Formats: sequence, structure tokens, C-alpha cells
Amino acid sequence: MNEFMEKKVQFKWHEPKKHYDVVIIGGGGHGLSTAYFLATRHGVTDVAVLERSYIGGGNSGRNTTVIRSNYGIPEAVRFYQRSVELYYQLEAETERWIMHKQKGLLWLAHTEAAVRAEVARAEINTAFGADTEYVTPKQIKEICPEIDLSGGGAWPVIGGSYHPAGSTARHDRVNWALAEGANRRGVHIHQRTAVTGLLMDGDRVTGVETTAGPISAKVVLSAVGGHVTTLAKMAGLRLPIRTHPLQAYVTNHYELTFNPIVASTSLLFYVSQTARGEMLIGAEIDRQPSYSYNSGHHFLQSCSFRAITLLPFLRNLRILRQWTGVCDMSPDYSPIMGKTGVEGFYITTGWGTWGFKAIPAGGEQMAQLIATGQTPEPIAPFSLDRFANDRTLADRGSAGTH
Amino acid sequence: MRLIVDGQPIAFDPGDTLLVAMLRADLHPTGGGCLCLGGDCPHCLATVDGVAYVRTCQVAAKPGQVVERQHQAGYPPLPETHRPGPTVIARNRHCDVVVIGAGEAGRAAAVEAEAAGKQVLVLEAKDGQEVVGIYHGPLVVARTNEGMLHVHAREEVIVATGAAEIQPVAPGSDLAGLVTARAAGQLAAAGIDLGRVVAVGTPPDGVEAAAVEGELVRFEGQGQVEAVVIRGADGREQRVECDTVSLGLGFHPRDALRRMGRDWRVRAVGDAAHESDIPPCPAAGIVCPCSGVSVEDLDFIWAQGFHELELVKRATLAGTGTCQGSVCLPYVRSFLADRGQVLQPPFTARPVTRQLTLGEIAAGAHHQATPRTALDGEHRRLGAQMERIGGWWRPWNYGHVLEEYWAVREAVSIGDVSTLGKMIVSGPDTLELLERLYPTNVATIKPGRSRYVLLLDERGYVLDDGLICKETDTRYTLTFTSGGSSHAEMWVRDWAASWGLDVRLLNQTMTLGAINVTGPLANDLLDRAGLTDRPPYMGYARGVVAGVECQVFRLSFTGELSYELHHPAQDSVRLWRALLELGADLGLKPHGIEALLKLRLEKGHIIVGQDTAFDSTPRRIAHEWAVKLSKPEFVGRQAIIRTNKLPLDKQLVGFEMDGPAPIEGAVIWHNGQFAGHVTSSTWSPVLGQAVMLGWLYFFDGELPAVVTIDNRPARRVETPFYDKEARHARA
Repeated sequence: MNEFMEKKVQFKWHEPKKHYDVVIIGGGGHGLSTAYFLATRHGVTDVAVLERSYIGGGNSGRNTTVIRSNYGIPEAVRFYQRSVELYYQLEAETERWIMHKQKGLLWLAHTEAAVRAEVARAEINTAFGADTEYVTPKQIKEICPEIDLSGGGAWPVIGGSYHPAGSTARHDRVNWALAEGANRRGVHIHQRTAVTGLLMDGDRVTGVETTAGPISAKVVLSAVGGHVTTLAKMAGLRLPIRTHPLQAYVTNHYELTFNPIVASTSLLFYVSQTARGEMLIGAEIDRQPSYSYNSGHHFLQSCSFRAITLLPFLRNLRILRQWTGVCDMSPDYSPIMGKTGVEGFYITTGWGTWGFKAIPAGGEQMAQLIATGQTPEPIAPFSLDRFANDRTLADRGSAGTH
Repeated sequence: MRLIVDGQPIAFDPGDTLLVAMLRADLHPTGGGCLCLGGDCPHCLATVDGVAYVRTCQVAAKPGQVVERQHQAGYPPLPETHRPGPTVIARNRHCDVVVIGAGEAGRAAAVEAEAAGKQVLVLEAKDGQEVVGIYHGPLVVARTNEGMLHVHAREEVIVATGAAEIQPVAPGSDLAGLVTARAAGQLAAAGIDLGRVVAVGTPPDGVEAAAVEGELVRFEGQGQVEAVVIRGADGREQRVECDTVSLGLGFHPRDALRRMGRDWRVRAVGDAAHESDIPPCPAAGIVCPCSGVSVEDLDFIWAQGFHELELVKRATLAGTGTCQGSVCLPYVRSFLADRGQVLQPPFTARPVTRQLTLGEIAAGAHHQATPRTALDGEHRRLGAQMERIGGWWRPWNYGHVLEEYWAVREAVSIGDVSTLGKMIVSGPDTLELLERLYPTNVATIKPGRSRYVLLLDERGYVLDDGLICKETDTRYTLTFTSGGSSHAEMWVRDWAASWGLDVRLLNQTMTLGAINVTGPLANDLLDRAGLTDRPPYMGYARGVVAGVECQVFRLSFTGELSYELHHPAQDSVRLWRALLELGADLGLKPHGIEALLKLRLEKGHIIVGQDTAFDSTPRRIAHEWAVKLSKPEFVGRQAIIRTNKLPLDKQLVGFEMDGPAPIEGAVIWHNGQFAGHVTSSTWSPVLGQAVMLGWLYFFDGELPAVVTIDNRPARRVETPFYDKEARHARA
């Protein structure tokens, strides 16, 4: 047995019922988290989570597991700060090891405009309770001695921001801890159960059609990643979402000596070392929209090139595997949470490249919405109707790479 | 010939792999585990010349190689310092058919394709051509002895990689002295003494071995195998003493390349195309040697409710180690089929199939170059501090920002604005295109005149700003911001094509240099340079300046009398030097971007991208005057009409305050509440106070008159801060 084997989580599987109070479409982090908070905070347990594949098999099991709250607008800083806090207490609360580890996040700037952006990030973060400071190249070198400040002679580091609360956790274990917590309190999780349609009564959503038959529900929540526009269309909704692939890769396992999470705004990549010693490297989304999970050579080539420019020790590490997830991108790089205008149908989407870090807070807030029917104040700005109302969330701090 | 293993030199024979060389010296690379000699298992890993996780069975022994066998003791360390490796080159090849693997099936496929007249390329790992992945194209990426090879297959890729042998799972499988049947034959052929060989399952070729029949129970020994225990059909255990156990337990295809290429023109032939043998469900022992997962672990995780192959993989980490499931996958599938009565398909095959370093895969990649203007050398010669600004190398300052600033305000200065986006639009539909693109009444621009314009997207948000300058009815010049010009060019071309308009678009950003002559003495300088016939404010003319043909745009970003001289880039240096010389006794000093940012901020001129955000409508940046909603159509018009009916939530406004300028990005407060943030901030020498632009929220329908920035009061004021009547610019 290796030390990282899951030793506690236990699932109980059920046959689907014909009716649940709440049906959650999507057994990823956000769906499972919403079920967890419904069960633990509101006593709502007549809940089914429907997953077309296996739980956490979509982007919740494909992301690069960075947890941070260094966003660029007050609404986002507050929301993600709540998520960071929930993450810090999730192990104690669930009594499950999610491998949460504080690492500190370095965000490097190589241009005058990027320096200005990092200064602004530190300012707005500090004002709204997230701990971020502007750092000089000298301080950067102290935090991460492995960095070549000259950027290979081509991309010198001229400043950056440091977010000490930046941390990582193991994505699968987060999904499982939440799934089990909900499951133990009576929530049903149905794997290999794909939603093929929505049951409608007039304009109202009354349930779902699935590969295991129809299931009626008082409330249906879409916590789908990837094909959310297809699902929303079944309810007559047109979402301002485009789906783009995002790729990442890991190296083999090495001794645990690389501490921080390092990201570069100009070179567009980020690196951390996993608990098992793999160097985990990712980049920005692919420009071309697609649902494809196929991996690309250009990504692996160019991302490796950029990574070794700044962290030359990576040059001799051997690559283990690369993979791809998909990101639902909203026009303002912020999530969409809440009511949809269609009765009985709520949505949590637009999780772009920042879904993992929002799992606890997203679930907590959506659970409160479902349980009370009232949109909680922290997620009110993230409503779908903000696009029609010209209240988009102009968050440059979110348009980072992870 | 010698190489070094753990600091000790060992001899090797020509043609040896590293593994064979080590075995000759009686050194097992990892101390134990069944060797396959096929690159499929993790039992011969070592660090070779600073690169860990090298399969020594796949690497030729070379004199002087340095091998460290540290994999027995935990993970290898991360390299501490940068050792610049040799530059790896990448080559591209094109052919009709790529055959991966030169075994029997591969050779046959190659012969067949060649007979059909195809151009065929065969890649063989044993010849140092290791295919690491198949990507969209299909593109076959291989590591070769000469660097990376990118093969573009016009027709198809044939995977003939053969099959891996199934490894033993039983207690004691980590002992040395275990080899697969194929490996036994190869080692014997290489002259390695295998001692007494016992063959379990299919016996090896060309090796004398005692065959035993029955179910594998365990291996016995201390470090080195001493006996194998087999349970016969009668249920009785039989212990056979030996020095080597040869294991012929079946095959599973090396089909990862085929599976990752399933969406493209990729097929497998030979053993690689076969279904995997599924070994009997193991009773005990290590299933996944990379992650140390035992049959007991699988039983435990099954009982916890983890039944999906993917979940079992993720929960136990079986299959996530360096061999990527090559050893454990047949057994994990067998286990799950036994417990769940369903044989689940293998987990997803992902690149890379043969491991390589970041330095190797990066071969052929380049940094996107940051362009330099034709005057780059001039700036450096003048001691400028160069920075990447707006996607270009530009002079931040020449060492004396205030002197540069005052030269503009009180004498004359020149600045390099070659980075501006410059585009000529011509053709019969030019006016139609511009009317549809821009929110201004383009038709009312007279020949020889130019106008400041916003470029909007469909949502009515500001994409860019610049000038439209009319030369004739069918020929206009557009300018864009330095940082936004490539996006703006795409934007214009995309719309022109979408609307099917008959226009020609010529991007002149790189071919034209531009020098801004600015300051109250600009006319004196241009007189000296021979340009006496000058356009009026916001006018345009052609003329000769210091012997250089120029398009002269009169406008003002700095707030002073200014002429932008657009000229062929090859004349930039001549023009720049002439102006410097002619203006020397006028107090001319060139100004950098730092001074320019001060000058423009005093005038309240916005910089798109710095002062604007994703959601900046003309109304929010107080530029409604630049939008003519009376026009029947332009991009963004519908959105603006709709959003204009909504209450305004925030606006870009000017602030002034005493004392030093707050930092850009400073938070703006109003009665302890968040009220916005500062986008531009500078201390104004001419005004003797700090001036700012920033986003300010409305409170109860009103913009606060006084706010708090940097714990100090700041007053909201109308812009421009300097020369509100624009007397200087129009002088």
C-alpha cells in the first residue's frame, strides 16, 4: 500500500428513485459540493446527483488543483476568500484527508503593464481580506530560489505578487470527501446515468429524462461542465458560454523540494509540485473552442519551452503524461450562479479555469439558494441576468491561467 | 569500454544496452522485479547522465555514461541547479504512411504500402526512434538520436508496436532473477549466465529451462530468487529451486498509440491490434509495482465502493506511475471483472508513451519575439531604459523624465510612436465599411482631416481607439493603439469579409515609422526642417521633413502643439537624427513613455486597456460624444441603445489631490465603502498636485464629489486637468 491510497472514503450506491426533491446534474466538484452542503447545512437529503460517467471524471478530476483568492474585483475576492476558508477547514469537517497543503502562490510579471496589474491585485486583495503583496525580484528569488530571474535572458522577471494562502489539494479526494459526506446523509449518487432531456411542464422544469428513465424533482440544478450550453438549451436558455480545452501535464515523481506555486503572466504557464512529487504544469486555455479531450503536441512543446525558460531545472525532468479538460468560459471570466428565469431550474457554470478553487463556496451558496429559494448575497453579482443588465464583472484578476 | 554505475566503472560489450551491461556486472538496476527488456516495465529504471527514470533496457551503453541506481531508495531529487543541456533540434518530415515498429507486422505493412506506391517512413525504437505520441494530423512525434522528429502523415499511421508480456503478480515478485520469457531468450543470446532456469507458462526460445505447469503461488528468496512455488492441477504445491524464473504469462498489446490516435487515421497491425490477454485474477502480491498497490489494496478499495476502473486507479494510484499501467492494467481489469462480473475497458491512453524530458519535447519552440522599432538603436544610443510596453520594446525614459516632460510642455520634443497600428483602407466600399464599423459619422470627415474614434464590439464595449483620416473618398488611413492593433486588424478584416465588402486593407504598422513632434516650439522645429505648409489642428497633409517624405497628422496626445510624422521605416533614423540636430538649440529632448504617460494623463486622455475594462461602454468612460446613435447602423449600436436605458453604475472620472500620487490600482473609498479603483495616477509637475483617472461607483444616483484614496481626500474633477480649453493643442 502506498501512503496516498484512499483509506477512509466509503460509498453506498442505490437504484434511482422516480422522484427526488432535488436533482443535481453533474457529479463533479460543484454538484457534489452542493449536495454536501444541502445535506449538512440544510438537512435536505432527498437529493440525487446524476453523473454520466464516474464521479469527478470531468474537469473536477482534470484540473491543476490550485486554490487561491487573489482576484481583481471585490465580489470575486470575497467569494473566493470564502472558498479558501472552507478549504482550510474541509479536512477537519469531513475527517477525510484531501491533501490540502499551503504553498504560497507567486505570480510573476515581465512587463510594465503586468507589474501595474500585480500592484493593483495586491491593493484590491488587501482591501477585501485576501492576503496578497507585491514582491520585488529579490523577494521572488528568496521565495523560489529555483527561478532564473533573467528568464533565460529573454523574459526577465521585473516584479510579481505573492499570495501566501495559495494552496493545493488532491482533486479526487475533494470530490470523494464531499460525495461521501452527502452519501452518508442519504444523498443518492448515480454514476453512468446520463441526462438526455429535461421534463417540462409549460415553462417550468419538473425533472429530468435519463438513461435510467425519467426522474421528477422539485428543483433541478445544472452543475454540468463542458456541455452546459446543450443542457441549458433543453430549458430554452441560451448561455453566454464558450467551451475551450485546457491542457496540463505531469512529470515523474521527484523528491518534494519545490515549495511554491509559480505562475507567469507573460509566459502563460504555472507549475507546482504535487504531494506525490510530480511537477504539475499547465497553461492557458486553447484558443479554439472545442469539447475535445484530445491532447495537443503544440501545447506540450511550447509550454515546456516556456517553463524551462523560467525554471531551468525542469529541463531534465521526464514527462509522465498529459491530459485535457474543457473550460466553460463566460464573457467576463467570472462564473454564473443562481436562478435562470426558468422556474425549477438553477445553474452553476462558467467555471472556466477557476472551478476547483470555488468548489466549497460554490456548493455552499448554491445549497443555500436551493434550500431557501433566495439568492444569497455573496453570489448575487454572479447571476445570469448580469449580461442582459450590463452588470458584467470586469475582473482582470480572473483572466489568469488557472 | 567502460561506463560508471554508482561511481564504479564497469566494462561492457559493443551492442550492449545499459541494462545488459549492468547485468553482466551482476548489478540489477532496481534490485529486483521481473525484467522485460521491452521498455514496458519499471524494473530497470536508473538515472543516466542526470536524467532520472530512464529505462536502461532501451538505452545503448556508451563509454563514460554515468548511471545512478537511486530508484531503490525513494524518489530521485530534483536537479538543484541549471545545467544547460545540449540544444535539442526538431526536424519535420512528411510522408504518406508512417509505420511505427519494424517487427514482422510492421515490415509487412511497410512493404504493402510501398507496393501501392506510397512514400513510407518506418520508425523503430530499437534503432533509437522512439515514438512518444500521436496527435491531431496525424502527427507522429518521435525522439531520435539526432533530436526530435515530427512526422506528418499524409495518409495514415500504422501502429506495429507489438505486445508487452504480462508480468507475474505473486508474493516475491520484487526479487531479482525474474525475467519474461522473451527477456530470458534475449539475455541468453547476449551471453548472460542465467543459471538454473525454471519456465512458468510459455517457455523461452533458445534457453534450457525446466518447465513447470500450474498456478504461480509465490517466489522465494532473499533479494535473489531461490525457488518458485507452483500449485498444480491437483491443488498440490510444488517448490522448484532455481536461479532464474522465466515467465511466459501471455501478452497485452502495446496499443496506447493506436488508442490515443482513435480520432485520426491511425490503425494497428500485428500483435498491437490484438485484444489483451486477461490473466487469472491474482490472489496475492503486488499488482502495481510503480505505486506499490497489492491485491489486498484492491480488495479493500473494492469493499469501500470504488468499482469503476478509473476510480480504482485514482483511489489506489495503480497505473499512475512511471510505466503508466503497462504492468498492472491487465491484472486490475482481471480483478474488477472477477468482483464485478464485467470486463471494463482499459483506461485512457495519453501521451507520452515513451518518456522524454521537457528539454527534449521543447525542441523547435521559440519565444514570440517582442518587436523593436526602426529607432531602437537610437534610443539605446541615447541611454534609454527599454521596456516591453504594448507588445513592443519602447524607451521608458532617457534618464531624466522631468527634463523630457518639460521639453514637451515648454520647448519641443520628439517621441517614437512607430508602434501605433496603421492601416490603409481603400476600394469602392471603404466608406461603407467604416460607417458600419465605427460609431462616428465617417461621411462627415472631410478630405485632409482626421477624427478621434472609438472601436466598439457588438456588446457596445470599447475595443480600441485611434484615428480615421480621410485622404480621398475611397482611401482612408486608420490608426490603432500599439497594444491593440493586431486584434483590431483581425476585427476589421473579419467584418470586411463577413459583409462581403469590396475593400483592400493594408497593414502598415511595420513598414511605417512615426515620430511625434510636440511642444510649443514644434512649428519652429518644422520650419527648420523645411515643412512650412502644415495642416491645421486635426488636419492631415503630405510633406517633406528634413528630406524625408512624410504624412503629417496634426493632433495632440500630449496636450501641446503636435505633429505626427509617418514615414517609411527605413528613413526613421535619418529623420530622427535630423530633428535632434535641428532642435538642439530649441531645447529639444526626446521623451520616453514615462513622460508621455504623465503628459497625456494631465490632458485626461485615456489609454484603452489601462483605463478601460472589459465592460467599458462609451457612456461609462464619458465618451458618449464619440458615438452617433442617429446613424442607422454600426457595430455595438443595438447594445448601446439597450444599455443606455439602464441606470449607470460607475464611470471613469478624474481626481486630483495634494501630495504624492497614489499607486495605480489604489482602491477608492467613499464613507468607508468601496467606491472604485485608480487606473492612472501621476504627480503633475505643471499643476503641482497629483492627478488620476479611476473608476467611481454611483451612490444613490450620484458620483461622490470627494473620495478617499491612499487614506487621503481626493476631489473628483472634470478632465482635462491641464489646458481645459485646449489652447496649447490648437495653437
